[in-house]
Amino acid sequence: MGISTIVFFALHLSGDPVRLMVPPDATLKDMDILRHELGLDRPLYIQYVEFFENLSRGDLGHSYVQNRPVLDIIRERFPYTVRLALAALLISVVTGIFIGIVNAVFRGKWIEKMFVPFILIGQCLPAFCVGILLIMLFSVQLRWLPSTGARGLKSLILPSITLASLSIASLAQVTRANMLEQLEQNYVRTARAKGAGTPRIVIWHVIRNAGIPIITLVGLETANLLGGAVVTETIFAWPGLGLLTIQAINARDFPLVQAIVLFVSIIFIAVNFLTDLLYVIVDPRIKLEKESA
Amino acid sequence: MKKSKLHRKSLLFLALLCACVFAGSSTPALGTEHVLAIDLATESATLDPGLQYNTDSYTVYRNIFDNLLHRDPQTLEIIPWVAESWEQKDELTWAFKIRGDIKFHNGESLKASDVAFSINRILDKSFRSPQYSNYSQITSCEAEDDIVTIKTEAPSPTLLAQLVNLSVVPEKYVLEQGNEKFNLNPVGSGPYKFVNWQKGSQIELTANDEHWKGKPQIVGAVFRFVPNAASRIADLQSGLADVILNLNADNVEALKSDGALQVLSSPTERVAFLLFNCLRDSSPTKAVNVRKAIAYAIDREAIVTSLLRGYGNLVKEVLTPLSFGYDDTVEGFSYDPEKAKQLLKEAGLENVSITFISSPAYDQRVVQAVQGDLAKVGIGVKINIVEQAIYLKTVQDPAQEWGDIRFGIWSSGTMDAHGTLVPLFHTGTLWSSFSNSNLDAALDAAAKITDKEVRLREYKKAFQILQEEVPAIGLWQNYTLSAASKQLEWQPNAQESFFIQDMKWKD
Repeated sequence: MGISTIVFFALHLSGDPVRLMVPPDATLKDMDILRHELGLDRPLYIQYVEFFENLSRGDLGHSYVQNRPVLDIIRERFPYTVRLALAALLISVVTGIFIGIVNAVFRGKWIEKMFVPFILIGQCLPAFCVGILLIMLFSVQLRWLPSTGARGLKSLILPSITLASLSIASLAQVTRANMLEQLEQNYVRTARAKGAGTPRIVIWHVIRNAGIPIITLVGLETANLLGGAVVTETIFAWPGLGLLTIQAINARDFPLVQAIVLFVSIIFIAVNFLTDLLYVIVDPRIKLEKESA
Repeated sequence: MKKSKLHRKSLLFLALLCACVFAGSSTPALGTEHVLAIDLATESATLDPGLQYNTDSYTVYRNIFDNLLHRDPQTLEIIPWVAESWEQKDELTWAFKIRGDIKFHNGESLKASDVAFSINRILDKSFRSPQYSNYSQITSCEAEDDIVTIKTEAPSPTLLAQLVNLSVVPEKYVLEQGNEKFNLNPVGSGPYKFVNWQKGSQIELTANDEHWKGKPQIVGAVFRFVPNAASRIADLQSGLADVILNLNADNVEALKSDGALQVLSSPTERVAFLLFNCLRDSSPTKAVNVRKAIAYAIDREAIVTSLLRGYGNLVKEVLTPLSFGYDDTVEGFSYDPEKAKQLLKEAGLENVSITFISSPAYDQRVVQAVQGDLAKVGIGVKINIVEQAIYLKTVQDPAQEWGDIRFGIWSSGTMDAHGTLVPLFHTGTLWSSFSNSNLDAALDAAAKITDKEVRLREYKKAFQILQEEVPAIGLWQNYTLSAASKQLEWQPNAQESFFIQDMKWKD
């Protein structure tokens, strides 16, 4: 509710959708007619109260620009964001954690040195740069993959790699740091003394103990990705929530922006809640501690 | 260096990529013959032609619907289309005879009542059409047999030009389906039928073989929405798109060297201008000599050659030669920085400073070029860039507190001086920061009479006043820039329409 209130006033005080909608030579009188029909000529506090009344009934209103219920619009776009987010997450989690583990295990060896440039590139290059480079290579030169659009699995590949390239680096770093910390623990030495090999130690013991910070990061990343990736979606013309948000804000399509903000906030809270639940599964001690306290 | 890193990086993902490439499938959009793929910058807001009136919407929907009147692609004269003839019965009354051989895509015949319904629907305030202002001069619209009678509030010289933009919708279908469903599944009578709208991504159309003008050569079209210009260019280069629209001069430079592609350009009725705040007391631009000095200080030719790479024609006034009322005899302003300095000296404002308001919607390089030119004659320019919605709110506020000078590109869609001069310069209109009773009188006189000679005379008077008072400087006539595969035969024209039926694949 707090978020909705801030967004409501920030939007209503910063621009007038009617001016953006009408042809440039429309007169003031014509604009007033449209403003009246949209209910935008009433005092702001009345519009505000009405917004919450409608919200309590589950009615988020109609888009000014598209003249359709905003929920329908979000419902059409959200699946694309989910698809892109999951693909990017899969790529970044698998690659990021893999690189992190390898770098921790082979600390200071040539393998780690080989991965360092990738981590640096991932951290330094912004999404629009990675995206355009991938398009130049795989679409324009090799013609393997479509540069834009959202038709079939093929068009999902480049945007998801672009999006993942940002989080691979941070995931690899966090994984490596936590793995290194765990590898120096006593239980690892004990396991080694018992004759367990490195793969066995890493897979059965260390990953579980190093898991909590990684899960936190993945959780945050998931929530971010589900909110829509504006830059990546713009480059690849991917019809997700990110692109929709920018268009709605630029057009001052109040009901649509409010609905998106509300929707994304709910997702953010839900994902964080699920992440917390996941802690308990990965590390049963967390639950026990709470109970004893 | 970057490229070699990229190659290494790509190797890393190779296994994954290969798996996906071979597993992945993307079905061809339509049929076996080549479907025209068009990249637009933004998604159509709606396909209901009674609603949103913006380029990205009508570029698509004008292929689905037939308009009441049409402009000849070459001469730009208004020609019959759904209305096979028309006559002006008296000062306020017009009668249009509707063709009898047009069928909507659902098989029903297009009747005069459908035309009347299409207009009355927009005039119905509860429909909330942003196009209302285009037709608000109409007081009544009725159909009888094959005749549609339109009455206007006052004699209207621009009625026909507005009706060129009127798409005819099927009354029965719209009423049965309701507005929302009609928007999602539009049925028109045009040369292309609606197939599918993948929201946020693309719209598919297929040829209407029964169209009254004959079967179109191109079997279908996909309009794709690609906001990023570099991505649109990649789409064209990789063959994903056949035509890409909304480019700028820098974009097309890169495409010129590609032998498989063609750059398409056309002068339009859009005019670029600098407009002064002549009303605010604290504005230095309230003094006519300062405005004249600025007009002489700007090297418009340099802007057109270097920034626009020649894609612009210099104009002497705030109107293009394509519009009715353009006056070729106006003197205009040449580039003369010495004269500018002298005018400032006479005004006693040698080291004056002004505020230039702009938004990201306008080319910032032009704004900076103006700043540079003015600095040379001793005028300091502070650039104030605000977001588009705030820009509109500020410059359209009657308080006139927006600053001293702004840049704009204007098109009225009617190809008539009325649609440019009234909103920009008439006292009290939305965009005007100027007030002159003689100018108002000339513009009002030209607006309320249909006699062309009289109107031209009034506009001549108006342009004389604008030359003396300089509430704005005309800069150049704008071009549309697009690029296409060389396989496509198409010449864009001044009205910026995108009619697929006018295009062809080369043999």
